[in-house]
Amino acid sequence: MPDQVCCVCGDPASSMIGKRWFCGKHSQSATRERPHTWRNSILLVVGLVVFAGIVYLLDLVLHPALTGTGLILAGVLLALVPAFIWLVFFYLQDRLEPEPKGYILGVFLLGALLASAIGIPLVDNIFHVSKWIYADTATTILGSILVVGFIQEFLKYAAVRYSVYPSAEFDEATDGVIYATAAGLGYATVLNIQFVIANGGVALGSSVIRMVVVALAQASFAGITGYFLGRAKFEKKAWWWMPAGLTLAAVGNGLFNWLRGLIVQRGVSLTSASTNPWMGLVFATVVALFTLGLILWLIHRNIRTALAEKEIGA
Amino acid sequence: MNASSLPSKTISTGYRFADWAVIAVTVVALLAGWLTKNSVESRSIPFEGSGISAQTPQGWLMTSAQGNEILHVTDPLSSGFGSTYIIQNIPVAADSTVGQAVSLLTLERGQALTAYRILEQKQVTVFGQAAYEVGYVFVESNPNLTHNEIPNIVRGLDYIFLNGDHAIVATYWADEKAFESDLGRFQRFLNSLKF
Repeated sequence: MPDQVCCVCGDPASSMIGKRWFCGKHSQSATRERPHTWRNSILLVVGLVVFAGIVYLLDLVLHPALTGTGLILAGVLLALVPAFIWLVFFYLQDRLEPEPKGYILGVFLLGALLASAIGIPLVDNIFHVSKWIYADTATTILGSILVVGFIQEFLKYAAVRYSVYPSAEFDEATDGVIYATAAGLGYATVLNIQFVIANGGVALGSSVIRMVVVALAQASFAGITGYFLGRAKFEKKAWWWMPAGLTLAAVGNGLFNWLRGLIVQRGVSLTSASTNPWMGLVFATVVALFTLGLILWLIHRNIRTALAEKEIGA
Repeated sequence: MNASSLPSKTISTGYRFADWAVIAVTVVALLAGWLTKNSVESRSIPFEGSGISAQTPQGWLMTSAQGNEILHVTDPLSSGFGSTYIIQNIPVAADSTVGQAVSLLTLERGQALTAYRILEQKQVTVFGQAAYEVGYVFVESNPNLTHNEIPNIVRGLDYIFLNGDHAIVATYWADEKAFESDLGRFQRFLNSLKF
């Protein structure tokens, strides 16, 4: 293999994992396994449930009336904590050669910036989505996918594709999922802060559960795009591969938004002015959890393949 | 090798094309979304009363007409002040001029609306019909003193048409933030007005 070079650093390669060549140093780092991943992941999810439970109980008992700076601080805190926990959760899934934390944080911030500078203004001020999307079921589904889904998923894709994607640190297919979920969580953080502020801090108890689910969903749908991105970098794929990945993520994102909106709308009746956020959250959570399961399965399949190929190579 | 540089063999050669394909698919989806938006916003239902007909937006709330009003519809999905279209059929003397009808309407508006201020007024031709356009602003606040809401600033637009012994007034009210973006839809409504 005299002509082969390492796909990470370009030095002469000594071994192959999958269809990629690695030098000795990067072959070792690409297949180094981290222990206790599952235990730590479960602890994080438990921590997230405890956090949501505490906020819910505090809201139930204290009924805080937040305004001004207090409201903004509460919004930022409630949005950041779930995003941070999910960020660590997804980061831990990359058991082989973890990505640099600075890169992950950078992509997270880029996702947040794109959401606030382009995504939210485009959805709210150009498409005025809230004014027409609930006209009927077909419109809600079409609008959720074609406008909300594609805008959000394209910006998360762009946050990865035009930043870390060409870097040498993006050295395995799984990295696509890890970086894309970071971008998705950045996007979700801005959406959640906007939600708390727009609602004047009302019903923080149910809001925190919504935020946990929105963060999970945004990360998971971005993970689908990230999976397609990761494989596109290291395998020869047809031109339609990446558009298909983005479309799949946009459809999932749109269905998530539609289910949540539909059930909340049906919670309003002539005899009761209150909405029922729980039903919407239950359905939306099922979609988000299904996508999370798919993403985790894809990540672990990639890792198993990498480890098996290393053994064969050895 | 610099960590940010890329070995040339790591990206498949067709990926640049895939990059453009992703952008193209997104643009097509957004165009389809825009068409969906336009299609929903142009849905209308026919209205006819007192010899006047128009296509009113579908899904808007029709409230009971008061005084000379023959149509009063409001968008329930607007944020802030709900975008509203009103048609009035005001009796005037047979030899009245548009200017007199405008003066009458301005007096009424000044009495009924809080902080009513005229921004501009001019003679225009609306889809082939001579009319007088009056743009104005007023403040709408909840009369219930227990409500601690900030009043809405509302922009209004009246088109006054003389039709024999009646002045027909087509009115558009919208939250100042939504006024410009919703104006196109009102113009479609105005175009559908027949008398």
